[in-house]
Amino acid sequence: MKATIAQYYAGDSLLHRLDPRAKFVAVSALAVALFVRDSFAGLAVYAAAAVLAYALSGVPFAWFWRAFRPLLWLVALTFVAQVVFAPGAPFFSLWFIHVSWRGLELATYLSLRLVVLVLVGSVLTLTTPSIALTDGLAWLGRPLRRLRVPTDELALMVTIALRFIPTLFVELDTIMRAQRARGADFRRGGLRERTRSLVPVLVPLFVLSFRRADELALAMEARCYRPGAVRTRLHPLCAHWSDAVLLVATAAVIAAGLLV
Amino acid sequence: MSLTCGGVSFSYEEARAAIPALRDVSFELRAGGSLALMGASGSGKSTLLQVIRGLDAPESGAVLLDAAGPVDAGYAVLQREVGLVFQAPELQLFAATARDDVAFGPRRLGWPEAQVGAAVDTALDVVGLPPAHFAERHPYALSGGEQRRLALAGVLAMRPRLLLLDEPFVSLDPGTRRQLVGILERLKAAGVTLLLATHDVDLAWALCDELLVLGEGRVVAAGPWDFGIDAGRLLAANRLREPFFVELWRRLGRDPQRAPRSATEAAEALS
Repeated sequence: MKATIAQYYAGDSLLHRLDPRAKFVAVSALAVALFVRDSFAGLAVYAAAAVLAYALSGVPFAWFWRAFRPLLWLVALTFVAQVVFAPGAPFFSLWFIHVSWRGLELATYLSLRLVVLVLVGSVLTLTTPSIALTDGLAWLGRPLRRLRVPTDELALMVTIALRFIPTLFVELDTIMRAQRARGADFRRGGLRERTRSLVPVLVPLFVLSFRRADELALAMEARCYRPGAVRTRLHPLCAHWSDAVLLVATAAVIAAGLLV
Repeated sequence: MSLTCGGVSFSYEEARAAIPALRDVSFELRAGGSLALMGASGSGKSTLLQVIRGLDAPESGAVLLDAAGPVDAGYAVLQREVGLVFQAPELQLFAATARDDVAFGPRRLGWPEAQVGAAVDTALDVVGLPPAHFAERHPYALSGGEQRRLALAGVLAMRPRLLLLDEPFVSLDPGTRRQLVGILERLKAAGVTLLLATHDVDLAWALCDELLVLGEGRVVAAGPWDFGIDAGRLLAANRLREPFFVELWRRLGRDPQRAPRSATEAAEALS
């Protein structure tokens, strides 16, 4: 069992070395542009940029596919919904389903847009470690501190949560194996029985998580963590000229997409 | 229950490559025998135990239980007679009472409730947690050592004929450790076959007739304890050492092969 969403692919490509803040801004801007612009030509420009970026990241295509596969049903659903409910003169009708060329076109467009969106997003998550990403987000959220939003603390919470997801998966796996060795079967029976069969797994997992949280809090205090205090970083965020190039290039791509 | 591993290989599927954990592991353990499974951390001990219990299927090779293989009828039943005690098994306790936790396994086996009750009482007795006093307690209200023994009872209640233990002595106080050694000795005397993965060479020497050393997933040594000329180098290469009594016997100029297994035996030999 493995979490495939927001997975990081360790590497040393140009995209890996870029500042997470620049990457986040570029990806967000591109995502917005994707939704603002609705023509196949614009979509083609953004898709080309996304494919180019993915190619530059040096991540094998299989990794995108793994992240995308769980979302496949969403794309399929979008497509079907658009085909069925879109207006236009039908060229094919069956009972309440009226398929029009306009509907087909719209469905294709919206599905492709989703694919490109996921591709753009995965370039960000595949090339940026979660800790760098939350650091970047905390920096971008700094203006909110004036409104007394504890951005650094929130970022730390997210970082810790992300850090412990793989650990919890390993522990979940061990506990499930141990209960299977005692005869538990997680695949048999109806929904009710299956839910019940999770009790011997979830109780130890929660107990373990709370214990771990307690220990982590103690360990952090022992290492002088104080909420609200100014923290320094081992790897301070540092923008280079290449980050500026990324932002300019992204702006150019967005403009090109809007103009074609 | 006798156990035969023939050419067992297994790899973990990681994100970028398969990492081999067991490579062509072959050995035999006769019914009623006891085998110490040793080797440096990451040498494949835990993986081997899980493959033997059937939690992972070997990529090649086979695990034979009482000479029956996966293709034979009744293999699933035999697998249920293999008990596996995980590392730190107390982390897997979940029920509201000690009795319910121990009863989990027997109930999964579909035994009638009367038989489950009897098995639970016996298992609690065996691990030194008398049911009259402990059965209704909450597992998390017990001490660490009691929790470890309770988790062991949960496996013993299923009446295993082959018992696999993964580092059962880790982080136990000397008193509990001694208690656990006593429990394992009694199980052995009752005819249960033991396979004990441990880093503790002294306890391995005290409890087990035979030795299996894994190094990077391969069998480095298998069979009866042998303290010949190569033994020291082999043990050191696998981050092990000779048991205390063996070293003592060697230093006393006696045959290390006949070293005593316990302080009692040593006292008898020396007086």
